[in-house]
Amino acid sequence: MIEFDHVTRTYGPKTAVSDLTLAIPRGELFALLGPNGAGKTTTIKMLVGLLRPSRGAVRVSGFDLVKDPRSAHLHIGYVPDEPTLYEKLTGREFLWFIADMFGMPRHLATQRIAAEIEHFELGEFADDLAESYSLGMRQRLVFAASLLHDPDVLVLDEPMVGLDPRSVRIVKDLLACRTREGMTVFMSTHTLAMAEEMADRVGIMVRGQLRFLGTVGELREQIAIETTSLEQLYLEITDPKASGPVREFR
Amino acid sequence: MSDTVSALPRSGGSPAHSCRLLSIDAESRLFLRLRARVAWSSLRSMLSSARLRLSLVILLSAMFWASLYGLFAEAFAFLDSLHAEVISLLFNAFFSSLMVMLVFSTGILLYGGLYCSSEARLLMTLPAREDSIYAHKFQEAMWFASWGFILLGSPMLVAYGIVRHSEWTYFALLLPFMVSFVVIPSTIGSICCMAMVAWMPRLRVHALTACLLAMSGLGLWLAWSALSSVKADSMSAAWFEQTFARLAITEQKLLPSWWLSSGLIEAARVGANDKERWAALREAISFLALLVANGMLLQLLAGWLATRTYRLGYSELAGEVPARRQRPIGWFDQMLMNAGSAAGRPLRLLVVKDLRLFRRDISQWSQFMIFFGLLGLYFFNARSFNYNNAYASMIGFLNLAVVGLILSTFTTRFVFPMISLEGRRFWILGLLPVHRDQIVWSKFLFSFFGGLLPCCGLVLLSDVMLGLPRRAIIIHEVCCVMLCMGLSGIAVGLGAKMPDLRESSPAKISSGFGGTLSLVMSSLFIMLVVVTAALPTHLFLATHAFGATAVAPGGWLAWAGSTPGIMTSLSAVVVLGLVATFVPLALGLRAFRQLEP
Repeated sequence: MIEFDHVTRTYGPKTAVSDLTLAIPRGELFALLGPNGAGKTTTIKMLVGLLRPSRGAVRVSGFDLVKDPRSAHLHIGYVPDEPTLYEKLTGREFLWFIADMFGMPRHLATQRIAAEIEHFELGEFADDLAESYSLGMRQRLVFAASLLHDPDVLVLDEPMVGLDPRSVRIVKDLLACRTREGMTVFMSTHTLAMAEEMADRVGIMVRGQLRFLGTVGELREQIAIETTSLEQLYLEITDPKASGPVREFR
Repeated sequence: MSDTVSALPRSGGSPAHSCRLLSIDAESRLFLRLRARVAWSSLRSMLSSARLRLSLVILLSAMFWASLYGLFAEAFAFLDSLHAEVISLLFNAFFSSLMVMLVFSTGILLYGGLYCSSEARLLMTLPAREDSIYAHKFQEAMWFASWGFILLGSPMLVAYGIVRHSEWTYFALLLPFMVSFVVIPSTIGSICCMAMVAWMPRLRVHALTACLLAMSGLGLWLAWSALSSVKADSMSAAWFEQTFARLAITEQKLLPSWWLSSGLIEAARVGANDKERWAALREAISFLALLVANGMLLQLLAGWLATRTYRLGYSELAGEVPARRQRPIGWFDQMLMNAGSAAGRPLRLLVVKDLRLFRRDISQWSQFMIFFGLLGLYFFNARSFNYNNAYASMIGFLNLAVVGLILSTFTTRFVFPMISLEGRRFWILGLLPVHRDQIVWSKFLFSFFGGLLPCCGLVLLSDVMLGLPRRAIIIHEVCCVMLCMGLSGIAVGLGAKMPDLRESSPAKISSGFGGTLSLVMSSLFIMLVVVTAALPTHLFLATHAFGATAVAPGGWLAWAGSTPGIMTSLSAVVVLGLVATFVPLALGLRAFRQLEP
């Protein structure tokens, strides 16, 4: 469903992502972890078509993000870390704009907008201008918009920022349910507990390289330290004092 | 959120079953609907929450339009009677310079809209065509770049038609002519912008600077050669002929500005009979068709370029590494921080911080340089106009007013929002051992001293070039100091009194109610200062320096023009300056002390 094929991205002399090869199948929830500046956001931006790889290719549902970005976007829903809305549109108008942009038939759009408004409890403020929304309300609206066209792949960049605990729980349940139904979720997060609880597989990126790829259980086996906490495993892998070439745990 | 996980389960298949890529027509209609909806919402918000501001804007615009119309009507009546052929040159010079400005302004605005805006980032992640996104953002950039042309150009062209007693067809063709003309330079600007970002993203600032310098150099050379070598008396027929002969470069037939001015002149032509009228109209429509065809061709080219380069350019630009600053603290900043007592150091640190932000914000200092540079150029050439001595004093005061008005636009646009923006970062300043008053005072000092040097320098240049006596120069400089002080006080004081802590864009903060009020108060203050100082000084110069005999001895006018009269008016100017400085500042300080961010 998602394929990174020997993807490298450079910023001038700096390599942000180095030779990333990764395939995420249908129905998997994948969590990308890593310290600040590890290359997570660059990876996500390449996945949603905001950045082009310097080398290699990124494909979603078989569509290359560089060669056929529009077809690829039909299959992607994206929740960015900073939700972008039209301040002078209401929540409902924004959802209609997104539905129209994805060419959804009228009856289906009406049905799905009503469902997402109910699901994310947007009804109370759906007809207010977005300029009056709090960060949490914005994030909920963006979640609703990203799921409107029933994408094959949902890309989440720090999805829980601004959400209250109840909303976090609902989003977790939603992700679990959608992945069971076949949706692939690619999530970048600093919330280790969430990755531990939800992810089928985790990837840990350090200095542009994927240092670990596998399940949390596999990570524990490979590191072989006396701990049950993902936090300690993560700190072990991403230790900045461990200079020199990146050691892979796969 | 509802406790059910999903009211609508996944369809299970590919979204292609329920979604489809839109045709270009459908996408265009969708963007049009979006724009209409946003415009309608903005208008409704304004009508409900900012009626005063909207009324003020409409009223001021109408007054501005009417004044311009009157001015142009007089000018065209004068030119029509003396130098009818000059109008074509005038149009060509005006439209060609406008064309250059539109190329740059649309290019710069489109750069912001297409590559740096959050909207573009959103649209890039949706299945939208690159050329549709371009067209959507282009319309926005073109509108923002050209509304000034509509406001400036429409009274001029309407006045021309009325003075020439043109047919209704001329007035009906005005808007199509203006719109089709504006599209051409705007599209050229957008093509240059996209090409530069896609193919030389790292050199775009250098390329733009080089273009701006080249165009400024060309403009300076043209203005210098046109004005410095004119020997005839100002405003005479010979003066016009000599000046415009040097601007004949703008009459190139390949320039869209020539098509526009020729088309308008043909449309305005009043034929002696039907045959002549039809011939003129046919000619006008041919020029309009030429503009439309070229505009459409350029749009096709721009759309093609957007399809091929937009995503590439966006990606290249996003991959740029910001340059690292080699010197953490400049010598000037260091000097400023260390000057004075230790007690005043926090205040100086705040001023240095604002100075750094100003230096690193290209949009601020480039506008500052352009406006004050153009004024300097005009003042430098003041002597070339050979004004009669009777006019010199009046022109000196008008120049003072112009300097004040330009400074007021800067204080409103850049100084007024400073407190609001500081409010957003209040958690930084609020935790420092700095008294809130010092924050307000630092803004005032920054604005006052920042404006003082260029403004006083420009006024001095203007007076020296006009050959005004030393006494007049001193009066103008005192007025200038008071203007700098008062304008800074109004902008900082009202900015602290009416902060907008939710808004992050300084442009939006300054265009709010507080910003509008600040601009209006500033304009009134300038008018009061200049009129208070100008009247007695002008009378004094008229009665003493130039030997005029218009003022009867013994009357109040004579007293107003005497030394005590001038000293009284100057004292009034100082009082006005102090009131304009300290009243808004006191209000602002009090409000800022009680502010709860």
